[in-house]
Amino acid sequence: MTEHDPKGRGAPGGASRREFLRGSGVAAATAVLTGQATAILDEAQAAAQDSGPKILKGEVELTLKVNGHDHACTVEPRSTLLDTLRDRLDITGPKRVCDRASCGACTAIVDGEPVYSCTTLAVSCQGKTIETLESFDTGEHGVPHAFCKDDGLMCGYCTPGFVTACKAFLDKNPNPTLEEVRKGIDGNICRCGTYVGVLQAALDAAKAMKGA
Amino acid sequence: MKAFDYAAPTTLEDAVKLLDGPGSVALSGGTDLISRMKDYVTSPERVVYLKDVKSLAGISGDAAAGFTIGAGARLSDIAANRALAEAYPALHQATVEIGSVQIRNMATLGGNLLQRPRCWYFRAGNGLLAMKDGKSLVKAGDNRFHAIFMTDGDALFVSPSSLAVALAALGATVTVAGPKAERTFKIEELYQAPKRPDESEHTITHGEILTKVTIPAGAGKNASYEARHKQAQDWPLVLASVNLGMNGETVSSARIFVYGVAPIPWKSTTAEAEIVGKRITPETAAAAGEAAAKGSAPLSMNAYKVPLLKTVVKRAILAAVGNRYWEV
Ligand SMILES: Cc1cc2nc3c(=O)[nH]c(=O)nc-3n(C[C@H](O)[C@H](O)[C@H](O)COP(=O)(O)OP(=O)(O)OC[C@H]3O[C@@H](n4cnc5c(N)ncnc54)[C@H](O)[C@@H]3O)c2cc1C
Ligand code: FES
Ligand code: FES
Repeated sequence: MTEHDPKGRGAPGGASRREFLRGSGVAAATAVLTGQATAILDEAQAAAQDSGPKILKGEVELTLKVNGHDHACTVEPRSTLLDTLRDRLDITGPKRVCDRASCGACTAIVDGEPVYSCTTLAVSCQGKTIETLESFDTGEHGVPHAFCKDDGLMCGYCTPGFVTACKAFLDKNPNPTLEEVRKGIDGNICRCGTYVGVLQAALDAAKAMKGA
Repeated sequence: MKAFDYAAPTTLEDAVKLLDGPGSVALSGGTDLISRMKDYVTSPERVVYLKDVKSLAGISGDAAAGFTIGAGARLSDIAANRALAEAYPALHQATVEIGSVQIRNMATLGGNLLQRPRCWYFRAGNGLLAMKDGKSLVKAGDNRFHAIFMTDGDALFVSPSSLAVALAALGATVTVAGPKAERTFKIEELYQAPKRPDESEHTITHGEILTKVTIPAGAGKNASYEARHKQAQDWPLVLASVNLGMNGETVSSARIFVYGVAPIPWKSTTAEAEIVGKRITPETAAAAGEAAAKGSAPLSMNAYKVPLLKTVVKRAILAAVGNRYWEV
């Protein structure tokens, strides 16, 4: 799985999943499950306590809770949440632009807080609640509608990230001033310079969301 | 990035064990490390995720006793803590300007203090000293964001942590756990200017984990002030943090640290000496700013940092006593 390795220097993970299961015992084998399996996991971990925490290598089976649904996928420890969402789960709202925690296009909401999914490892998101803009209200009370109405986009590449950052901000700050919006969504960059429309959309969405 | 093994321990003991090996590296918020791995500047064999070690998070204490901040506390937790903001405006003001909402939600105190320099020659794989064929790439190249002090040495990057400067002014200590005994020392001793290519800019040894930062009670009048390129979500150009002990109207002791001017958090002993024994006025603050620039030796492209340095030191001193004249 070296498709995200433009320089091609990454060696594939090594051990196959089967070897991984064989080599690392019951605690590690069950540790890759979530949800219903947590009880079994706890039991197995208690039994295997002496062997210390599990070490994940090669390919790892993961269940991510995205937009209210459990999604199973196979990733490597180095896979980012962004690449996992887009390329494994076909959830393509978050965009890959800088890939270096600098632009906000990949913003996703993890456990209620906006983060850069390009700089978050998917394996560290097991058990967390992940929201992307696919789950947002697209009706007239929602943030996407306000962006549309206020012309808060041009090429649109930054827009999903802005919409997500806005939604996360408004959920915690329902009555913001313009200055608060500026600070609250300052982790996103628009190459086309649509900031005036974006800020207006955030203010209008704050009002509209109250009508929902 | 290269493939690696991954472990997410939940106890400090397990984390220490897992990090005990030459190819292992700690991961907290990832805002620095993951980008470095993508650029092949750091290619660990094992990544040990520390955010599930709950004992590393948390903020405790009060103004009377001082505060302890876990290395795993997120910058957003530090920014949101009112008691901390009231006791240590210098820390609060430095924290809220870091990066963006997303960065502060992800990044931790430990990661902030131990983030690696942003020098573009380092980030492009030329090492911390950025030497090629015996020559300094920094001196010959684009050094607009580099150091203006200690430039007779080979380490010309600037120490990248805003919080190191604020915490040093506040007299904080750090505690480090590892295979050997736990140790606690002054935060400024966490940093050094490397002299050889194989030396680190941090004094902690491989496998050691930063566990907490302790800020003593009884801070004086303190503040931070920074100059940055527009309102960009970028590192400051120059940032000063001051902590002034007062005897009535007169400054009895001063700790002044500056970011953005040296490969370590820069202790401005000249500015400190200038302000001690004085009342704080626009004139004495400006004189301390002038004094701060003594001994600076800019590189070919960064002399602009000298006036910035003078101004941020002056304004941080005035902000510490509530004079924010530039805002009115
Ligand atoms: C766009 C942008 C703007 C920024 N602006 C600023 C700014 O203005 N001021 C500023 O100070 N910073 C700034 N930063 C840097 C940011 O604050 C740091 O990247 C962040 O604080 C690092 O914390 P982290 O938890 O994400 O660390 P990680 O990336 O997880 O780790 C950083 C380093 O610390 C080590 N480490 C982490 N935790 C521990 C621990 N407990 N013990 C031992 N080693 C550990 C890791 O091994 C790694 O080498 C900015 C970053 C970005 C991307
Ligand atoms: S793609 Fe993640 S911040 Fe730019
Ligand atoms: S609309 Fe083009 S980048 Fe924002």
